[in-house]
Parts: sequence; structure tokens; C-alpha cells
Amino acid sequence: MTLMHRRLTRSDLNELVSAAPAAPVQLLDAHRASLTTRFRAVSVPGHRRLDAWSVERAGRSSNVFRWSPATARRVLGNASLRRLATQPASVRDAVRDELGDQMLRAASGYSRSGSLSHWLASAPHPVIGLVTAEAVNWATQLQEIAEWLDATWEVPTSDAYYDVASARTTLRARRDLVVRTSESRTIVRVRSGSPGKSAGPGLRADLTIEALADHDGVAPVRYIGLWPEAGVCLSVDGTMSDLRSGARDLVRTAVAQRRRGTLLAA
Amino acid sequence: MTTTLDSSPLSVVEALRGDRSKRPLIDIASAGGLRSLLEDGIFEIIGAQRLATPLVVRTSSLHQRLATIDLAMSTPGRIRGVLIGQLLRLLSVGMSIDHAFDDAVATWRAEVGANELIQQLDALDDDDRARLATDVAAHCVTLTRALGEIPARWMPRSAVRATQRLAGGNVVLRDVVDLMIGASTSDVASIALFDVTTSPLGEGAERSMRFHALMHTLRTSVMPLRTCTFSSATGEMWIRDVDYELLARSVQDVLNSVRDQWSAK
Repeated sequence: MTLMHRRLTRSDLNELVSAAPAAPVQLLDAHRASLTTRFRAVSVPGHRRLDAWSVERAGRSSNVFRWSPATARRVLGNASLRRLATQPASVRDAVRDELGDQMLRAASGYSRSGSLSHWLASAPHPVIGLVTAEAVNWATQLQEIAEWLDATWEVPTSDAYYDVASARTTLRARRDLVVRTSESRTIVRVRSGSPGKSAGPGLRADLTIEALADHDGVAPVRYIGLWPEAGVCLSVDGTMSDLRSGARDLVRTAVAQRRRGTLLAA
Repeated sequence: MTTTLDSSPLSVVEALRGDRSKRPLIDIASAGGLRSLLEDGIFEIIGAQRLATPLVVRTSSLHQRLATIDLAMSTPGRIRGVLIGQLLRLLSVGMSIDHAFDDAVATWRAEVGANELIQQLDALDDDDRARLATDVAAHCVTLTRALGEIPARWMPRSAVRATQRLAGGNVVLRDVVDLMIGASTSDVASIALFDVTTSPLGEGAERSMRFHALMHTLRTSVMPLRTCTFSSATGEMWIRDVDYELLARSVQDVLNSVRDQWSAK
């Protein structure tokens, strides 16, 4: 495995990006078919969603998702930074514009119940202030990390999603910055808190999902996870062994989830 | 250099930012040495054994060494401190505050949902609640006047968290800086750390200032420019330029706290 641990400094981050393997690995149809077979063998009654966090928690269910200033900050922060790339302004103004657009969507009837727009539209004035503060924190932090990078970067328009055919399973990989060269891409992902013992498997899961979500199955050459609160970063390379390992962890997580579901039912 | 301001300047933020032409180049060399000092000091206290639960050091751990009775740590005092922290977050993004107490409670609930301290707030009788609301409003007025408007170009970030694991996870340092301004991408030191306390300033506040600077240095490997504490009770503010000596003193504060916790085990 290719897990590397570094301090989160400008020089270390640039070294991780520049020293990534040159040639990317490609997943073939056979790999996708094999993964589908494995997931279909672990059937569940409903639809299943898996991501790095569920791998890190070995399939244990998290609390029910609800919008809050903390859960809204990444969506709004990343969108604000994308906005800043085309319309130079302060981070605070970009966040306000993004919030305004979200609320306009709700006011004009384009948001569904449970969406971020819907929640924001019904949130009281002080809560909007806190949402702004959280999103400004996130966007400023991501902007500083991006400005450290010597290479050209972009904020992706969404996370990477892959639906496993006929297995009622959706996989999601978080990604916050993409550094592209003509032949390859390196992904940077930012997380709160500090990395636990299972942070490596979580990164490998993201790497695998990102490769599966690519139309041609091309894996990123390196997946870098940043934990700014702890000042550390981890990375995994897009090698075939890491991709296989990521896929195995995802299937294991599905198995663990089903086993827990069975135990609860009993 | 230490600056003590008994009466608040027109803008706290202006005082924190200071004269840009006099700022030193960023120091990226000291963090490694400070980390080694901490690791060596902790090894002398705990040795090579692995603890089942880590010793946790935060600013409140540094205060406990001095304080026997600290009114700020009473339940109303803690609630007041949290509420003023929430108001600072709103001020940092230029939000207008209409009703200090209600706005602060609304943001606090949105942030944490339900917790023990919120339950204690809900359990207050009408008199205590009204007293607390008045108190929070008074602190908010002092803070708002002193803080002034924070320009967006100074990149204010509020409630900035930091965590550091030391000695293989035996010791965990945790910190939350109320407000951070300045860019970390500059070639000169630009980051200023701002902490608000609802108590009058004392030696504990000085330890907190040092601890914030140490945690920022360990987290980013870059020394901040200044660290400051403001009392919303008195309007007093202490500002310290950050240097190696200040950070080394904070290392000693942390080691003293670890020693106290270890001997109490």
C-alpha cells in the first residue's frame, strides 16, 4: 500500500502533488463487473449509500442527516470558492451571494423539501449568520490551501458518484480540489477533526470510487486527504493494489452493514 | 512587545493588524523545535507506556492550576461565555445583532442541537433568564463597540479549531480560537488571534493567549503575528507579539498541566 503521512505545510503539500506517479491506472469493464457481482451478493432491502466515512466506521450507521451550519458549510464554501474563480470578490461576499442564490431557488419554487435551499429559506436570521460564518471559515481555509499549490487547480462542481449496476448501491467520494495535468489528475479532499486509525482505508475508498465514477475508469494518480485542524495530510497513490484494497473495504462495509441490520431485526 | 490597553482603541482589529511595514518575515523554523520540546517533556513525565485514555489539555486545563474559585466556570458564567462567542461569530461576518440574547441562543441551538449546558439554560427561571439576558446584552455592547467593523479583506474566521496529538496519542491538545484574522499565504507574519473572555483579565488569560499561539504554530508550522485577549466585562485588551520565548513559555504551561493531570491519576 502507498499510504503516506506528512505535516500540512505548503512545501509538503506541493511535494505530494508534484511527486505523484506520472501514469494513471485504468479500471476495465471486468473490474466493474466483478464489483457489481460482489455487491449483488450482499443484497439489502432498500437502497444503500456508501462513502469513505461509512468505511472508516466499519458500516456503523451515523446519526440521521440534518442540515445545520456545520453540514452546510462545505457545500456553500466550495460553491463560493468556485464563484470566486470567475468573479473576484471577498470570500464573505461570495458566500453571501451563494446563500442568496440558494434562498432565491427556494423562493422561486425550485427546491424540494429537505434540500439545503429549503432549509436555508426557513432558517431564522441569526442562524443564517452562523451558516455564513461556517461557510466563510471553510471557503477561506480551502482558498488558502489552493493558493499554496504551485499547480493549476479547480474546485469540482460535485463529489464523485457511482451507481453500482443492479445492486441498488450508490458510492460517493468527497473531493474538494482537483489538480490536472494533460495525462493525469490528483484529488485533494479536506476533512474536519484529526485522522483516525481508519483514515487510510477511507482515503482508498474515495480513490476507488473516484476511479469508478470516471467515464473511462481512469484513476487519479494520487488522492490527498487534508486535516487542517490537526495540521496533517495523508495520501494514497492510484495503484491497482490500492484500488483493489479500496473496493474490498467498500464490499466489507456493505457486509458489515447487512450483518448489523440482521442483528437489529433479530 | 506587550501592549496593554485599559480602554479599548477605536477598533480592536486595527490594533491587532498594526503597521504592516513592521511585520517580521514568517517563521517556519520554530514549530519543529517546539514539538520536540513537548515530546521530550511529556516523555520525562509519562515515559514510554501507552495510556488507555489520553490526557487532554485545553485552555481551561491551564486555568485550573491557578483558580480555586472561578466565577466564569459557574453555569451562568459558562453559558454567558458561549453566548458571547456566538455573537462574535455573527459580528465577524458583518451580521447585525437585533436582540443579543435571543440571537445568541438561536445560533447556539442551531450549532449544537441539545446538550447539557443548553438544558441548564432552559431550566433557568424567568428571573435568572432575564438577568442573564441583560448581562449578555451588556457584554455584547462592549464587544461590538471595541471590535468595530471587521473588513472582509482581512479574512476573519471564527471558532477556529485545532487538535494536536503528542507522544503517540498519550496527550491531546485541543483549542478553539474565537477569531482569527490575516492570511497564512503571505511572506510576512500576518495572522492575529483574538480571544474573548467574559471575565476580567488575569494570569489565566495570559496563559490562554500563549496557548492559542502555540497551537496555531503547531498546527500550521507558521508562527502567528500576534495573540490577544479581550474582556467583554471590562473592555480591557492585552496584545502580545508572538516570539519563540512566548511559545516556549506555553510549552512549559502545557507540560505543567500534563504533570498535574498525571500525578492526579
